[in-house]
Amino acid sequence: MSTAAQDRLRELHRGRELVASYPEVPALLAELPEERLGWAGQLLARLDPDEVLAAHPGVTAVTVAVTGHGTLNPLVPALTAELARHGLLLRPVTSSFDSYVADLSDPGSALAAANADLTLCVLDPMIVFDEIPVPWSADDAAKTLAGKVQLLDWLAGQAGGHGSGTLVYNTLPLPRRFAAQLVDHRSRARLGAAWRTGNADLLALAERHPGLVVLDLDPLLAEGVGADDARLSVYAKAHLRPELLAAYARQVAHLARHQLGRTKKVLALDLDGTVWGGVLGEDGPDGIEVAGGYRGDAFQAFQRTVRQLGAQGVLVTAVSKNDLEPVREVLRTHPELALREEDFVRVSANWEPKPGNLCETAAVLNVGLDSFVFVDDSPYECGLVRRELPEVAVVAVGEDPAGHVARLLADGWFDVREVTADDRARPGRYRDERTRADFLHSFQSLDDYLRELGVVVRFGPARPRDLGRLSQLTLRTNQFNLTTDRLQPAELDAVVADPRREVHAIRSADRFGDNGIVGAVFTRREDDGVHIDNFLLSCRVFSRGIEQACLAAVLRAARDGGAAAVHGTYRPTKKNAGVRDFLPRHGFLAVHEDEAATTYRHDLAELPEVPQYVRLVENEEESPR
Amino acid sequence: MTTIDEFIALLRDELGLEVTADDAGRRLDELPGWDSVHLLWMVAHMEEATDRQVPLPALLEAPNIEELFALYAA
Repeated sequence: MSTAAQDRLRELHRGRELVASYPEVPALLAELPEERLGWAGQLLARLDPDEVLAAHPGVTAVTVAVTGHGTLNPLVPALTAELARHGLLLRPVTSSFDSYVADLSDPGSALAAANADLTLCVLDPMIVFDEIPVPWSADDAAKTLAGKVQLLDWLAGQAGGHGSGTLVYNTLPLPRRFAAQLVDHRSRARLGAAWRTGNADLLALAERHPGLVVLDLDPLLAEGVGADDARLSVYAKAHLRPELLAAYARQVAHLARHQLGRTKKVLALDLDGTVWGGVLGEDGPDGIEVAGGYRGDAFQAFQRTVRQLGAQGVLVTAVSKNDLEPVREVLRTHPELALREEDFVRVSANWEPKPGNLCETAAVLNVGLDSFVFVDDSPYECGLVRRELPEVAVVAVGEDPAGHVARLLADGWFDVREVTADDRARPGRYRDERTRADFLHSFQSLDDYLRELGVVVRFGPARPRDLGRLSQLTLRTNQFNLTTDRLQPAELDAVVADPRREVHAIRSADRFGDNGIVGAVFTRREDDGVHIDNFLLSCRVFSRGIEQACLAAVLRAARDGGAAAVHGTYRPTKKNAGVRDFLPRHGFLAVHEDEAATTYRHDLAELPEVPQYVRLVENEEESPR
Repeated sequence: MTTIDEFIALLRDELGLEVTADDAGRRLDELPGWDSVHLLWMVAHMEEATDRQVPLPALLEAPNIEELFALYAA
């Protein structure tokens, strides 16, 4: 597919058809391998923007003025390509070599006259090192840098006074070929500190000048883009490597997109293979990879990133080929999923083609499709959406979930100059509307809510097929876990095999669906009565009366079985303080207490009630054992 | 990269320059659309394609395509 895009671009170039076919370009660039973007930029930078506009009046042009210290021509093809990826046509205005001071300070400069949407003042380390004498000290470099920051502060004020567009500065990389000229580590450290102070001061300028954006190059350098090529710097006065300029151009394109009001608003996510690993319909809620393990952790990182975006005003929606109920159940109750149902403003889970679902979501949210970013691991779905809905930005996350976060963030789809309180409140507003549409009643109290929830608890002996999940619960449950006895599958098998012991599985369901096995009670029959060795419950179903209902069932069964008493133990851990009072609250009296544990005894005289809003079903299915 | 025709094809297809074999001896600054960016771009591309470095000053001083090619062919 990628070579097809490359071949097509080459063919258009050779046939001189790039202008005529310009509307095809963004889609071709989307399919082009990353390393060929520079090449495409070369070809596209040859086109006359006026010719493109004449042929396609609907294309949006953006005027970008470029000034700075060194040779910046390589930036133009890179900017051309990066803007074209977003359907924007570059009108470049380049300035003469090292004329940024005049360009920015003189209201009559050609650059000021261009009235650009964006003015890039590209800063490089040579603004400092070209000016310091030899020999030099860390303090000399610090002083020169501080002077430059002052100058840039003043220039930003001047430019802000006479320009309408956005001025863009960047932080300065520190090349080793300078740092290493200081032979003592103390001086070198002082240079490093001064350099960072200078960059920090540069970044802080954006707080003072509303028309200024300062791009931090450190995250780009951290990705392994080299900053400095001595040959290019010395011979061609190109002080920043073309690769770094290309990465910088990408950030600028994001800024331009925002400047033109084209920031994306909606993040539409596929679920299977994108938000979690596996296929929910086949693997079930406990079989999908949500957290833990190699792939689970990768998906977890992606979920957390999405949540982070949602908290800043991005409207997150799900578009999944699945049945709706299992999806809602996972989003509501999966104990480890970092994204919850309330993080989504809308969930489309059905078997209809995704483009239709995206259109419907756009209509419901009253947001244009050109505000959508669609993320899917399936090349088929990505291709379908690209073809049917070219205005939707498609992020193909691919097979390896470790790359999902970087792919999602690669294009700064949601970048804005500033996140406002209104932005942060936006998802909540949409959610409120959805909630109003979905649930017509409002709940008067938690009891009312629980009554409407219709909790059904199934309590009975564990079946062989439950043991895997039960072992997992003992290993993973931390909060509602009275004694935190962890049982590996083999240990659990031994418990089950012991005739004196019983393992009771707790299942629950409510109007939203079946939660499956959510907890367990481990009991042991001794001469002095029944001992509760452990009681644990998944945190996703606390405080719905389930724990009380099951405890009542254990106590009643013990009394019916002729036990003299029921004994229980609470062993405190860092995380289970919430269940410290669980036994005493239900009629147990403390018998012995020390740091390690408190033991309790219930005399079975007065048994706790099963809460009215819980329907308890006991021993529904006899254990096949 | 063994012939100058291949080199010229590369300048056409990779750099988007409108050059033909007839332009091989013309001064670079007379070539339509040529600027220093192209040289830098070509250098990067050739280093990747041929896995060898030609000293940049020599390339910067080469007056025309023929001599650029000669530096890589040497």
